[in-house]
Amino acid sequence: MKEIDFKHKMAAHCETGTVTSLLNHKGLDITEPMVFGLSSGIFFGYFESSNFPFPTFIVRNKPGSIRTNISKRLGVKFYTKKFRSDKEGEVTLNELILKDIPTAVQVDFYYMDYMPDYQRVHINVHFVNIIGMNDSSYLISDSYFPKKSELKKTTMQKARFAGGYMEPKGFLFYPEYIPEEIDFEKAIIKAIKKNAFYMLKLPVPFVGIKGMRKFARKVTDWPNIARDVDHLSHEIMRINILLEDQGTGGAGFRYLYATFLQQAADIVKDDGLKDMSKRMMEIGDNWRNISYFAAKIGKNRDLGPERLKELSEMINARADEEYKFFNDLNKLVK
Amino acid sequence: MKEKDLYVDFKPQQLIYYVEKDDASYGPVVSGSYLSMHYLDDFIGKRNKQELALREQLKKGEISPIYYYLVMQEYGEKDLASRAGVSVRKLKQHCKMENFVKMPLKVLKKYAEAFDIPLVNFFHLLIAKQESTGKFSIQHLETDNPYFVVTKIDEAKK
Repeated sequence: MKEIDFKHKMAAHCETGTVTSLLNHKGLDITEPMVFGLSSGIFFGYFESSNFPFPTFIVRNKPGSIRTNISKRLGVKFYTKKFRSDKEGEVTLNELILKDIPTAVQVDFYYMDYMPDYQRVHINVHFVNIIGMNDSSYLISDSYFPKKSELKKTTMQKARFAGGYMEPKGFLFYPEYIPEEIDFEKAIIKAIKKNAFYMLKLPVPFVGIKGMRKFARKVTDWPNIARDVDHLSHEIMRINILLEDQGTGGAGFRYLYATFLQQAADIVKDDGLKDMSKRMMEIGDNWRNISYFAAKIGKNRDLGPERLKELSEMINARADEEYKFFNDLNKLVK
Repeated sequence: MKEKDLYVDFKPQQLIYYVEKDDASYGPVVSGSYLSMHYLDDFIGKRNKQELALREQLKKGEISPIYYYLVMQEYGEKDLASRAGVSVRKLKQHCKMENFVKMPLKVLKKYAEAFDIPLVNFFHLLIAKQESTGKFSIQHLETDNPYFVVTKIDEAKK
């Protein structure tokens, strides 16, 4: 097995994890929370679409925008490529590995067969770093797995060229250029302003704070669209998965963002940001209470109207908190 | 969240959490999944129940194998339709047995690819009670003919 000298480490999230590891490998000393915050990663969106088997929500910005926003804010240049031909996609990846370039690829998570079966779902926006190969397999550094893993090349091809919603089309990237001087202070302020805009002012009724309120309103209707009580229990318990287990660092990325604000406060030398970081940590704790609550009522099949109303009120309370938080944060960095 | 309040001992699913450490700094720690530690049995129980119910419907011809795998693999209709190269309307038709039997083999092959299963799995269900004992394994080996697999039942590797 040819193996590139690459430090594998777990991360809270796959995209911030791959980008951070690749930047570290290229010589930039940057943390995962800083990558997340600089790319204005915190978000909320509630979606009802036939792309998903059931209504769902997201708690981070659009897949791919971690990399593109880091590029804009820090001046880092990434080599990126999508492919029409799967053969060409494979050849290009192999050439990069032979040149000792660790390379991130976008894949359908379902095919990452080193993960436990119960975790594997079809989602086309998982990112892993490829850090080695032999004739039949790739060596993978996956932020969600404690150690480096092998994956058959044929399986990786299926994962990179799975069709469907947000199909990867063999997408790969790696950092080509990192500026010698980076103005982190300026980048932090810009990123925070942008994030406050995303949460407060995007004129779309299902994103940001408006998205949370829509989620709070709609969750009480879920019994009408679930197949049966077990299905409803499954979907309610997925709230916990989406907030905690699907690569968020806990509490739907709120802990990760709190950590970014704490690190940002040191760089910008602003104690106000430190206070905001504490507030975000507390907001995270309250989201985590929703996770526990959802898991408990789901397990107990305690899913009557009163209980779902309680859940709805908890979500609305988070919307109130975050509305105030992002307004205060926005004022602080103006 | 404080570090001391987080730790969950569940080795099969380790996650990174960002927490408040003793010195008031925030940073990453590794912990097991709270949900999997406490609720994985319930998840698997629901899944098995769902699978048995769908299997019964399949045996009675009330649903097609496409619907079976659509539900079991938690696909969105639009996502699966796109992968199979059909419209959502067609997909809904293919979920019924009377339309499933009229489907061209090429389209069925696209579905099989989307579900990552051999074609033959649409037409049979292989139940091997001893598989879980680890005494033997079942593998579907691809051949040069994309419409033909060899099913190999072998002694499990030690």
